[in-house]
Amino acid sequence: MLELRGIRHRYGGRIVLDLEQFIVPQGASLAVVGHNGAGKSTLLRLLALLETPTEGQVLFSGAVVPPRARASLRRRVTLVEQRPVLFRGTVRENLEYGLKLRDTARTAMNGIIGDVVDRLGLAPLLNRRRHELSDGEVQRVAVARALAVRPDVLLLDEPVSSADRAAANALYQALAAERAARPLTVCIASHQLEEAYRWADSIRALADGRLSPVTPENLFRVDLPAGDGTKHVRVGGIDIAVMTDRTGPAVLAVPPTDIFVSLQPLSTSARNVFSGRVTGMSIEHRGAGVHVRADMGGVELVAAVTAEAARDLALAPGKTVVFSFKATAVQVF
Amino acid sequence: MDFLAEGFRRAWSLLVAGDSEVYGIALLTLKVAIVATLISCAIGLPLGYFLATRRFWGRRAALTVVNTALAFPTVVVGLLLYGLLSRRGPLGGLGWLYTWQAIVVGDVLLALPIAAALSAAAIQGVDARVRRTAQTLGAGAWRTAWTVSREARFALAAVITAAFGQVVAEVGAAMIVGGNIRGSTRTLTTAVALYTSQGDFGLALALGLILLIMALLVNIALQVLQGRGEPGVGGAGGAGGAHA
Repeated sequence: MLELRGIRHRYGGRIVLDLEQFIVPQGASLAVVGHNGAGKSTLLRLLALLETPTEGQVLFSGAVVPPRARASLRRRVTLVEQRPVLFRGTVRENLEYGLKLRDTARTAMNGIIGDVVDRLGLAPLLNRRRHELSDGEVQRVAVARALAVRPDVLLLDEPVSSADRAAANALYQALAAERAARPLTVCIASHQLEEAYRWADSIRALADGRLSPVTPENLFRVDLPAGDGTKHVRVGGIDIAVMTDRTGPAVLAVPPTDIFVSLQPLSTSARNVFSGRVTGMSIEHRGAGVHVRADMGGVELVAAVTAEAARDLALAPGKTVVFSFKATAVQVF
Repeated sequence: MDFLAEGFRRAWSLLVAGDSEVYGIALLTLKVAIVATLISCAIGLPLGYFLATRRFWGRRAALTVVNTALAFPTVVVGLLLYGLLSRRGPLGGLGWLYTWQAIVVGDVLLALPIAAALSAAAIQGVDARVRRTAQTLGAGAWRTAWTVSREARFALAAVITAAFGQVVAEVGAAMIVGGNIRGSTRTLTTAVALYTSQGDFGLALALGLILLIMALLVNIALQVLQGRGEPGVGGAGGAGGAHA
């Protein structure tokens, strides 16, 4: 539905986003993860047609968006920024803003606002002004304001960064209800893997303004057994040792930088030692590191090593390698 | 001190007596000031918004020119305008020299940089998220401009006040292109200059007091129009943002 193609976006000469292609498919629930400064917010602003890429194209429904069409298409793509702002006036006036722009009749407007207010629990806030709201409440109002205009694509930048768990759940339930009621494409930027994995159908990872092939691959949905201490969880053909007290459904994340790569099994304290063949290698951004993909009993793991280490080990596709990482290195969400 | 006290007594008696010449001058000054302020703000505020929000080649140069124009001497503006409006000048055909319209043109030229430069600064002070939020909710260019301007309305009201202050206090250009003709182009400032030079300190002081009262009333009116105060943009995450 939305696509960025050949994007090189600069701020003051510095490249902040460098993407060959980024697609938000129609009806998708997509999460973009990455650390602060990875380029997530810039990516969303480009998708929202609020910024023009320094180089490259933005496509909507397969067609390049011409400058003249940007304003009209913005009515179909709405962004809620990471730290949203409310306009002068009451919460109700804010919720009415986009609807008035669309010449929505008063009766229909009241119905739509009543709907989003109920879903996001905003009824007690309707007559308050922005300085009377907490940060979390401002975020909820901003999401409600965006939902009220019924966009085809909703872009959310860290939508629950200021919300408590209950408010976050309410927000995601509202999104789920909206998606159940009508075709809505959602793209969420988050630095929290847990949040991304819980609510998105698919995940893209950004690092230093580039799509990173690593993070999503080292995430595994598992069912943690009861008990304390080290647990062994079956993932594909391997058993991953993990230190956690949690039980039930969870997501395991193995940071690629925490994986040791060797040619022979090492005698170490690492509880996770897997042998397999290298399936692919990619040079990381700026050439400083190499991402080594290996098939470990039907499970693909990705390790990050320095270019020097890759050279010393003569790593190449097809070569047998051993990946080792500690049980305590495995993150549980 | 007697000299000052006598001046105040004269001023008071002229004001209370409703002297037709004094009030005629005051009304002309008010008319010129309102028309010039309206025109300069009608051009200057959109120009300031444009300079503050659009990125184009030469923008910095344009801002520098506008900021430099803030310090343009009024007599120089009067002189240039005199050259344009004089019978042999390119705009001589209009026949505006020594008319109140000529004073308005001079005042507009002086107030326009104030309106443009200060409104550009005011708009730049509004958090960029306000504009993006308006746009992403579907606002077109005009509605976005209105939304952003609403956030900066206190600063923009100050811009209008500053433009009015420039216009109402201006004397150099008004003297040159207006001619200070009694009953026709004599404004409060040119009259004060004239009567002071003639030694009629009481009359000059009376006119000066009217000028001050007029400025006070206009400021009160603008404050009333600004309406109720509300803190500036508050963003989630304690952003606070720029205050309008």
